[in-house]
Amino acid sequence: MHLTVIPERCSGCKVCELACSVGRENANNPKKSRMRVMVLYPHPVIRMPIVCKQCGVPKCGEGCPTNAIYKENGVVRLDQEKCISCNQCLTSCPFGAMFLHEDIEHPFKCDLCSGDPLCVQACPKEALKFHPKHILGQAHRLSAARSYAKMSKVEYMDDGQKKTLRYAKITKGGRDER
Amino acid sequence: MSVKGGYFFRILEVDLTSGTSSVRSFDDEFALKYIGGRGFGARILADHLKARKNIDPLGPENILIIAPGPLTGVYLPASGKNSFITVSPATGIYGDSSIGGVFGVELRQAGYDAVVLKGRAPILSALSIQDDRVKVLPVPKASGTTALQGESLVRETIGDEDMKIACIGPAGENTVVYACVNTDWSRNAGRIGIGAVMGSKNLKAVAVRGSKDLPVHDLAGLMEVSREGYDFLRSQELFKFWQDQGLMSVVDYANKMGILPTRNFQATVYDKADRMNGYVMEDRYKIGDSACFGCSMSCGNVCLVKEGKYRGTVTEGPEYESAAMLGSNLGSSNFSYILKANALCDELGVDTISTGSIVGAVIEGQEKGYLTAEDLDGALIGWGDEDAILSLINKIAMREGVGDTLAGGAKAIIKRWPDMARVTNHVKGLEQSAYDARAAISMALGFGTSDIGAHHTRAWTVATELENGTGWGLEEKADFVIYHQTVRPLFDMLGVCRLPWIELGFPEEYYQRFYRAVTGVDLTIEGLFERSSHIYDLTRAINVRLGISRKDDYPSQRSFEDPVPSGPTAGKVIDREEYEKILGMYYEKRGWDQDGKPALTL
Repeated sequence: MHLTVIPERCSGCKVCELACSVGRENANNPKKSRMRVMVLYPHPVIRMPIVCKQCGVPKCGEGCPTNAIYKENGVVRLDQEKCISCNQCLTSCPFGAMFLHEDIEHPFKCDLCSGDPLCVQACPKEALKFHPKHILGQAHRLSAARSYAKMSKVEYMDDGQKKTLRYAKITKGGRDER
Repeated sequence: MSVKGGYFFRILEVDLTSGTSSVRSFDDEFALKYIGGRGFGARILADHLKARKNIDPLGPENILIIAPGPLTGVYLPASGKNSFITVSPATGIYGDSSIGGVFGVELRQAGYDAVVLKGRAPILSALSIQDDRVKVLPVPKASGTTALQGESLVRETIGDEDMKIACIGPAGENTVVYACVNTDWSRNAGRIGIGAVMGSKNLKAVAVRGSKDLPVHDLAGLMEVSREGYDFLRSQELFKFWQDQGLMSVVDYANKMGILPTRNFQATVYDKADRMNGYVMEDRYKIGDSACFGCSMSCGNVCLVKEGKYRGTVTEGPEYESAAMLGSNLGSSNFSYILKANALCDELGVDTISTGSIVGAVIEGQEKGYLTAEDLDGALIGWGDEDAILSLINKIAMREGVGDTLAGGAKAIIKRWPDMARVTNHVKGLEQSAYDARAAISMALGFGTSDIGAHHTRAWTVATELENGTGWGLEEKADFVIYHQTVRPLFDMLGVCRLPWIELGFPEEYYQRFYRAVTGVDLTIEGLFERSSHIYDLTRAINVRLGISRKDDYPSQRSFEDPVPSGPTAGKVIDREEYEKILGMYYEKRGWDQDGKPALTL
């Protein structure tokens, strides 16, 4: 499963940070959340929650002197027994998705809430999605196919309404345009 | 009754003259009685005024209070509000203005229930608050910068990307009496000249970053109510429409009802309103949604001009007030220009409402012969004359030429050109916001008796009176104004937004439940209303102390003199005798004497 961020939908309300900090740290404190909503303006204009991507090759672990970062069932985790809080992982993660707070002993990160992320449930804009991995890229594939420029079309009437059917015509003898 | 949560019990006091700060405490009784936000602000301001006969709003003796509320930043709908409270340079009396966004949340997380700013910094400075580390930093390089440039510069100087910054533009530095303070790009504490007070204190910006847990007495209990609250909002029919258009949906409504300010409130219906409404915004300009902290309604619209001469203009906004005051009120329906004017006001740091009102008065005044070309530095200006309008806004912010007088607001304009009183729509020196009140006497009373001047936040009764109030007598109308003036200021005390309540019907009882979960104090909603009603008496007592009496409680001159020319409210005008009657009733119901003096003193 994959936690997907859709910045185009994000309003910057930080409800995800609240859900995370209340649910996981029992504290009304966005600074203890395992994600951070970035709001940038006016150039560029973007609102984007930063959260761990559970990388196949976790860069956060690369500089870890005690090998405290490991991957288990698709989730990148921090072994608190091994961690010496040197905070190397904070700067090793290319996304800045590892966090620190002075009340919390070790660096902390998203662990996908045992498979039902609170942030996804709370987001009022559907800017966070929790999907099986094979969903990734589907939307782009679909839109690439849908927007193919050279489709033919046929107009027809359906229940008194004018409709259009678009299709890519199969050509004889293979594709003649490149 | 003891308070079990909701407060840090810490008020930060900063003496800008010496650059030093200290923290003082307050007791349960103070928290219970004044709650927070404008309640705290009014009490602190009243204490400050006790020993004084008068005060120069732009002198170092004035104080500026920044106060979120006990619910600010708490996991509940639309909890991102924060108030600024001071003696207004526009009106010379009590003033407050609130903002959404995240600034107030950071301030609370830094561990403060309020910040009191005193004195005047020797050179242009920024106040930096990172939890317990409080510093006044000189930022001479920020002089003359726009609010956004100033924000970047202060952030770089401190070296902390997380800092949330409230910053003024050049208008604030130049003490334009309707200069605002800007946070989160385009969120402004717009009214009554907070920015000018900051400018007079040589304070360019306040930067905050906090890391503390917010004190919530019963977090599990709160979450139950909150979840129910978010679900309630999401299930409202208008929820999605509100996310799509936000306050811009009001343009069509105001035009349909005949209350849309058009050509300086001469007319109340604008034939081109459909070129500057929420649909135009949504279809051609909107590129993103923006929400304040914790809010699912995301009423903010990020808009970009994609073509034409204003191409590349991008801002969060406009909201209804800005679109109406800079658009129809100035005779333009060009949405690209409206965005440009809105962005310009934000950059320079002037209030869009007062600016639109004053530019409108100038255009009408010139048309009627109250102002000559010479008065306007030779530059005549007509309705919808975009270039001239934008240039005049610049002159106001920079106090160039006639802009120097206009920067003094309604009072300064009328003082210099007494005839202008007929076209300058204001109460107590604060320009009227974007609702015409001639068809609804409760709205006129609301403007007349608002404690900060002609602003609609205290009592926005116009819609209800026009839709449902046909059978109402004056008695009911006066009651309804007082009801609004009681409920709405409560939101500013708690530190939450009123829009879920007014726009999506979020029941008042939720706030009593939120307050109980957060503070552990079991008050009925009526009990909370008593507190906010007390604050209304207190701000009135402050105003009486600063010279306000019955004579100041009247809506704009136009409300009595010029009947609405056309549209659904055609012919409507406020009858003076009727107004005297409702004003008298209002005083009586409030327990004030017939000169508008409450029993309460400072």
